Amino acid sequence: MIEIDKNKCIYCGACVSVCPVMANILKETFIEHDAEKCINCANCVKACPMKAIKLVEKKE
Amino acid sequence: MALKENYDVIVVGAGPAGAMAAKEIAKSGASVLALDRRKELGAPVRCGEGIGLHWMEELGVKVPPKAVSQEISGSLLIGPDLKKTVKIQTPETKGYVVDRKVFDKELGIEAARAGADVMVKTEVTGVLKEGSKVTGVKANVMGDEREFHAPIVIACDGGESTLARMAGLNSVATLYDTDFGVEYEMVNVDCQDLIEIFFSKKYSPRGYVWIFPKGKDVANVGVGIGGMEAPNARMYLDKFIADYQDRLKSAQTVAVKGGVIPVGAPMKDIVSDGFMVAGTAAHQVDPIHGGGICLAMEAGKIAGEVAAEAVQAKKFDKAFLNNYYERWSKVREPKLLRRLALRKALEQLNDDDFSAVFEVLDDDDVDKLLKGNYAPVVMKVIKKRPQLLKALSAIKDVAMA
Repeated sequence: MIEIDKNKCIYCGACVSVCPVMANILKETFIEHDAEKCINCANCVKACPMKAIKLVEKKE
Repeated sequence: MALKENYDVIVVGAGPAGAMAAKEIAKSGASVLALDRRKELGAPVRCGEGIGLHWMEELGVKVPPKAVSQEISGSLLIGPDLKKTVKIQTPETKGYVVDRKVFDKELGIEAARAGADVMVKTEVTGVLKEGSKVTGVKANVMGDEREFHAPIVIACDGGESTLARMAGLNSVATLYDTDFGVEYEMVNVDCQDLIEIFFSKKYSPRGYVWIFPKGKDVANVGVGIGGMEAPNARMYLDKFIADYQDRLKSAQTVAVKGGVIPVGAPMKDIVSDGFMVAGTAAHQVDPIHGGGICLAMEAGKIAGEVAAEAVQAKKFDKAFLNNYYERWSKVREPKLLRRLALRKALEQLNDDDFSAVFEVLDDDDVDKLLKGNYAPVVMKVIKKRPQLLKALSAIKDVAMA
């Protein structure tokens, strides 16, 4: 799963555009992430211009 | 203001594409609803804010003086040493750096004045379909779950578009074909009335750095890099600023902006039954400079015209709505694809190549490149740097428009 650092995020929508499963949705001032949909492809991690997203182990 | 349940057309996203579409539809007398996720049209800004004057003339749009941050007379291209420059000032390079918070909102205001219903802070959460046909949208209007019905829905929801995907079109951006940008609006920056574009692999792999003046000593300083490039755009921008202390030593940041720039190629599949996609949502972005405002306005206007005709003719199927793609591609697609070829060639240049190019390039060459006449410029560059023969031969024969 991914973690989005809200201190770094500028809600630009980059992570939304590259997500193949629509697990990231741009709300007005934040990104809503759906961990159930996420396939851990890390496209959003690479795309984020602010390096606000990282891939992390899924919490049990 | 009470919104109706049924409209002739629903436009999702009231940026440059959506506002132009809504205005065109409203002018025809058809009923149109334009919805936007944001609480205020135009904000937050996510781009360099540059527009070409010739575009506004072609589109018949008057830019209100209060939306203009800086009038632009031309472009300055700068090499990897941050010193060598080529300046070009032609009718095509005249333009404005606008304040998009004002510019976009004015476009929305114009659409509403023409008769469109407009609503903000409304998130579209799904499309309504009957079989393959799109028949409306589900939306959350400031907390109220609503359904709106229309025989045509136009998706103008930008680079982060999800509506086209909900409707069944593949609009996912691939990392390779997308640039990701970050920009600081800075003060205490010496500026002229020129947009500045910096070419180098060091500061902007598969993209470029820009300084767009926004009046007096304020400028948008930004970078876009290819999506496969590590680590991230912000690191490149900070490095550029650190290396360009001559100019940016006293610069202070008053805004940070960022966004996604689909520079690969415009989507071909942008129409289905009762549905159209326009603007950055359809990847209608200039592959060279990444600009999307004017292209979005043009596509939105054409989509709006076709939607108005469809309402008149009561034909909402893909075959009829495809007039939008046909008309748009006729005026725009070949030019974009030619510029995409130039982009692909530029992507192969390293910083020594760029430096060599800047040794020989003059303003007349840049004018030729902008007009799509690549051959004479390529010949000149290859003469200076024969090892670029392979990289540039692909565009040498691209015919002039």
